[in-house]
Amino acid sequence: MSELNQARNRVYQLLSALFAKEIDPNLRHELISQPAQDFWQQLATQSAFSADVKVIQEALSTLTSQADLLELAADYCGLFLVGSKHSASPYASLYTSESETTIFGEEHQQMMNYLREHQLQLTSDFAEPADHIAVILAYAGHLSLNASEQEQLQFLQRYLASWIEPFVNQVIKTDQGRFYSALARLTSAWLSSEIHWLETAS
Amino acid sequence: MNRRDFLKGLLSTSYVVISGASVLAPLSALAKSAARINDDWLTTGSHFGAFKIKRKNGVIDQVKPFDSDKYPTDMINGIRGLVYNPSRVRYPMVRLDFLLKGHQSDTTKRGDFRFVRVTWDKALGLFKDSLDQIQTNYGPSALHAGQTGWRATGQLHSSTSHMQRAVGMHGNFVKKIGDYSTGAGQTILPYILGSTEVYAQGTSWPLILEQSKTIILWANDPYKNLQVGWNAETHEAYEYLAQLKQLVKAGKIRVISIDPVATKTQNYLGCEQIYVNPQTDVPLMLAIAHELYTNDLHDKEFIEGYSLGFERFVPYLMGTDDGVEKTAKWAAAITGVNEEVIKDLAATMAGGRTQMLMGWCIQRQQHGEQPYWMAAVLATMLGQIGLPGGGISYGHHYSGIGVPSSGAAAPGGFPRNLDEGKKPLFDNNDFKGASKTIPVARWIDAILEPGKVIDANGAKVTYPDIKMMVFSGNNPWNHHQDRNRMKLAFQKLECVVTVDINWTATCRFSDIVLPACTTLERNDIDIYGSYANRGLLAMQKMVEPLFDSLSDFEIFTRFAALLGREKEYTRGMTEFDWLKKLYNDCKSANDGKFKMPEFEQFWQDGYVHFGKGKVWTRHADFRADPEINPLGTPSGLIEIFSRKIDRYNYDDCKGHPMWMEKSERSHGGPGSDKYPVWMQSCHPDKRLHSQMCESQEYRETYTVKGREPVYLNPVDAQDRGIKDGDIVRVFNDRGQLLAGAVVSDHFPRGVIRIEEGAWYGPVGDDGSVAGGANIGAICSYGDPNTLTQDIGTSKLAQACSAYTCLVNYEKFRGKVPSVSSFNGPIEVKL
Amino acid sequence: MRWLINLWKTLNKPAQYLTLGAVSVTAFLMGVIFWGGFNTVLEATNTEEFCISCHSMQSKPYQELQKTVHWSNHSGVRATCPDCHVPHNWSRKIARKIEASSDVWGWLFNTVNTSEKFEDKRLEMATREWGRFERDDSLACKGCHDYKSMKWDSMSKLAQKQMKRAAERDQSCVDCHKGIAHTLPDIGTARAPELIAEVGTGPSKFDDNAIYFSSLTKPIYLNERTDVEAGTLNIATKVTILATKGSRIKIAIAGWRKKMGAGRVVYLDFGINMLLVQLEKFAALEDGVIVGFEQKEDDLTGLKWQRVEVEVWTDADYLIDQQQPLWDYARTTFRSSCSVCHSQPDEAHFDANTWPGMFQGMIAFVDMDQDTQALVQKYLQQHSSTFVKEKH
Repeated sequence: MSELNQARNRVYQLLSALFAKEIDPNLRHELISQPAQDFWQQLATQSAFSADVKVIQEALSTLTSQADLLELAADYCGLFLVGSKHSASPYASLYTSESETTIFGEEHQQMMNYLREHQLQLTSDFAEPADHIAVILAYAGHLSLNASEQEQLQFLQRYLASWIEPFVNQVIKTDQGRFYSALARLTSAWLSSEIHWLETAS
Repeated sequence: MNRRDFLKGLLSTSYVVISGASVLAPLSALAKSAARINDDWLTTGSHFGAFKIKRKNGVIDQVKPFDSDKYPTDMINGIRGLVYNPSRVRYPMVRLDFLLKGHQSDTTKRGDFRFVRVTWDKALGLFKDSLDQIQTNYGPSALHAGQTGWRATGQLHSSTSHMQRAVGMHGNFVKKIGDYSTGAGQTILPYILGSTEVYAQGTSWPLILEQSKTIILWANDPYKNLQVGWNAETHEAYEYLAQLKQLVKAGKIRVISIDPVATKTQNYLGCEQIYVNPQTDVPLMLAIAHELYTNDLHDKEFIEGYSLGFERFVPYLMGTDDGVEKTAKWAAAITGVNEEVIKDLAATMAGGRTQMLMGWCIQRQQHGEQPYWMAAVLATMLGQIGLPGGGISYGHHYSGIGVPSSGAAAPGGFPRNLDEGKKPLFDNNDFKGASKTIPVARWIDAILEPGKVIDANGAKVTYPDIKMMVFSGNNPWNHHQDRNRMKLAFQKLECVVTVDINWTATCRFSDIVLPACTTLERNDIDIYGSYANRGLLAMQKMVEPLFDSLSDFEIFTRFAALLGREKEYTRGMTEFDWLKKLYNDCKSANDGKFKMPEFEQFWQDGYVHFGKGKVWTRHADFRADPEINPLGTPSGLIEIFSRKIDRYNYDDCKGHPMWMEKSERSHGGPGSDKYPVWMQSCHPDKRLHSQMCESQEYRETYTVKGREPVYLNPVDAQDRGIKDGDIVRVFNDRGQLLAGAVVSDHFPRGVIRIEEGAWYGPVGDDGSVAGGANIGAICSYGDPNTLTQDIGTSKLAQACSAYTCLVNYEKFRGKVPSVSSFNGPIEVKL
Repeated sequence: MRWLINLWKTLNKPAQYLTLGAVSVTAFLMGVIFWGGFNTVLEATNTEEFCISCHSMQSKPYQELQKTVHWSNHSGVRATCPDCHVPHNWSRKIARKIEASSDVWGWLFNTVNTSEKFEDKRLEMATREWGRFERDDSLACKGCHDYKSMKWDSMSKLAQKQMKRAAERDQSCVDCHKGIAHTLPDIGTARAPELIAEVGTGPSKFDDNAIYFSSLTKPIYLNERTDVEAGTLNIATKVTILATKGSRIKIAIAGWRKKMGAGRVVYLDFGINMLLVQLEKFAALEDGVIVGFEQKEDDLTGLKWQRVEVEVWTDADYLIDQQQPLWDYARTTFRSSCSVCHSQPDEAHFDANTWPGMFQGMIAFVDMDQDTQALVQKYLQQHSSTFVKEKH
């Protein structure tokens, strides 16, 4: 069982890393390495993931120059670094509450509490609110190895499932390219499969 | 495949993401100990006043007014929304095309808003490279780093000082003279009354309340405007307005508001209003002068002893030189003020101690010099200048002017200039025949028409060929006029650098955007009360700078390091060293007069109180002895006729004040057949210019369907089928905007108000939303400067003329676009 | 500045009865550097004998003290040196003694060993003691004079009002009561101390026909004896020395005046409003004080101007032989003080007659004493477009 959770954790880590920052040459290199290709292939075996994995793989394969990486970085910037919930800010609080208009709000506080309870904190070079989707995914990955299925399910339902849909819609609506739309859809599909599985398991 | 096999398959690939390192780390000991701190209330200040803050787990939680602020503005409720705004500039960013092509970038794309995140090193390096190129290729006349604005408060981190000191270490640049608020006033009044007047301390309120029989609020709304100040505002003036309200009620003082609209102050005081047609204040003043003169109500002795040139003004007043006698009847036709009302007003003003309190709006119009000059002439004819409760003031609505000053010495600030004897890296002073200083509101002209020579204040100004602009804590895409014209100009720029806290429209039109932290994320000190100087305020850091933002001090220290001049920049001192120095210098200046504790004690208390001030009368010394205490005019006397101005031979500002028709004027004036409505874009009630507009929760307390309110007259609105709450399109040939209707009988027919500072959010640059291709984008939120004219007041001041603006409006029936002003740059397409 | 001078005069009045001699004077504690048996010496250094064992203490401050009520009064309580000058709080006491050891150096190295040198240093020393009283809330005074035990009824109305206000804030006594135990330092030097530190006080002896510039705004008189001020000489004004009598010198100033009022304000040049001298009305009307020459009309204002020469007396101090140090100081002050709110305009952006208006309009924001204000204004005028032809 714990082995399987290792695999789940790796998916969470990968999704988290892709939302956490732009793809730089190192990450790109790694993402098109043979082990990674295999990983993508394996992901694509699930029909719910295959279309988006394909788009992601294609997009990665076309990143051949610094300029390509910058274009993708500009997509990332436009989606996640400059706007409110009307673009696609990656913060839970902006989506979970209609009236929430600021960042570092209640959801950030709750995530901080969770992290502290599990003896975790944000890395110093990640200067973002704790309700950033990358943090939530990374934390879910942590839970997959360290918490009961019940607890995992509750967390995912409360802190990710509650806002993933409007978030994905915003990404699709505002994305200038196709990589992040695919990543967002893939994340949503992964979440669905996880919730389904955890519900069945528990 | 079942899930078990699927997961096993994943595991078998052996792939683990490495380069994208985890965002989580084990909890450090430090973080453990810092957890769940619930701090005490900390003190800080802002333009909106001083306030206290309590944090929860390191996040600002509660905000309450400072203990001694009896009249706090509810704008402090917007502070959290300013700091934790989703459109914070979170990281240094560069426009993608600029990053790829530098000065060769496609500037027509400026506004396509494709940015990428870069490191501070990269961003500052690009900034420096751009400056290098400009100085090398063009010289200092191509760089304008002098366009500065309202910044955030704080004597150490003041953004303008940092930017100009650092950029000044690199090379020389074009600067501005004057400002948008008072450009005409501060230029004309030194000729007339010998000082800018607009920024001078005024007669103390207690004396006005004690001595005045009549107070004239001329286009003046202090109750609205005193909410904010240049430094942390004390709001003490509201105590005097409260007393005035009682005196009005008791019939002890008569307050008359001369204004097209029923102002907030009028409604608060319950005072009288004399309605005047927009932009026709000068004819009304002339008629009052005519009444005074023809009824022998003018103070001949005062005119004789304290002024010059009355005899050269009288022929104009009496119409012997232009054939038009400036009678009440003549004025009534232009101003819409009944003849009898004018006569009564003149008699009232001459009938007892009368304090004239002028607002700033009427000088932000074409020929804006004239109403200020003519008001000074009226005050001279009344002969009460220098008497308590009499004479004229041009500032009682600003930063607590009229609140008695404590007399204490205020702290200095971080130096704006290079230290004595230091030279810029590019020590080139060759401006290629262009002017080093240009009138503040004429920079867009300069970008569009380099080399053009204009008249300005008695001199010739040659427009420099500006290729690069640097802004810090300044949002000209709010305060400048005519957005479509600005867009053209910005396409001509090779590089624009902006430092700010949130994504203003100026940031969006930039190539390099640098994130400054807010005042709550750094330590600073401020004067409590710009004019009252009631004390010193500690501005204590509440939270660490959010995201990758830095304090102004840190940003430009790093920039100076790129020039190899870090030590010189900071003088080897840290933030706290500087605070101590500023404090201790202030302490020694106050030695023996005002007690100040040691710095550490002050920092702990958060505040030093200097005590109450003494009452004071403006121009009393001049009145007492004009020979020893002359005014700063050429003659030392009030100049009703200025030979100096007369000699400039300007057609739009002559030797004495006079009525000149405007290029656009409502109520029967030029252009009113096509666009019958006058738009006033006054200082906002709920913002400081454009500061605070982005604070969403607070903004939603006044917006209408998410739009900036446009205040409409009920009959006019009804004629157009508009109801309160409707979305309205306001337009003219220069531009168009959407705003939310607030129908109110405070506004007369033919007049609308949209307060300036509404963030610009253009959509549909091809006119596809509305209006067609000629008119371009529509502002989705309601920035009034999409509609205003970009012309100088006159050859004298060349100041902004935002108040000379005609528009029309209609109920908007198209598909309503979402507001694009606050969502960060990506959605906005031009 | 005048209000300050007047204030000093007021506070100085009771000095004839109260005068204790100069407040300051730090040169009276010697023991600290010859430490030895710590407490013994410490106690020894607390006695009056120790203080006055040094010559400069004995001859000046101690003598001055003896003329005041703090020395001799009907209650027979006498304040001795350490009562006022040694803090009553132990840690401050030690700090004070270490500080005082510099006074011994002062004596050893002859900085205050003559009357002249002592007088030159008097203000500096006084300032240091005033600062200490300030920091201690005048605790030394309050040992005997307690706000709580004051008999308000026996005070005059004015005294009551002022005392009560001070009592409310537990104000330091020396805030108002300076010069009650020792002779007050020359108040002139208390003005614009940074400026004076920079440009100096100038010589005390002057050659006839030599040219000097005022480094402060100075009172002027109609003769070498009178205390009646006849007006003021503006700062940075060029004067020619005509004669010296005692501590006064006779000076000549050349300039222009407007033919209006009593014509008692003299400016630098025809049509240029740069202040040189302002005379009281009586002085302007006195024969021979202002000598008038040719007249011209300024057609920028229509006012008539007249070239004049003024001959008056002033104290033989604060006149320096160069104008440039004044301008240097003013330039630095302008560039630092006037850039806190906005970029300061170039000096040559305005002409000489426009600057006063611009400058006065902004002065509320700036922390400058009156002398410095006057100097900076004059600097701006002198370096304005009227004199400096530079494209701006």
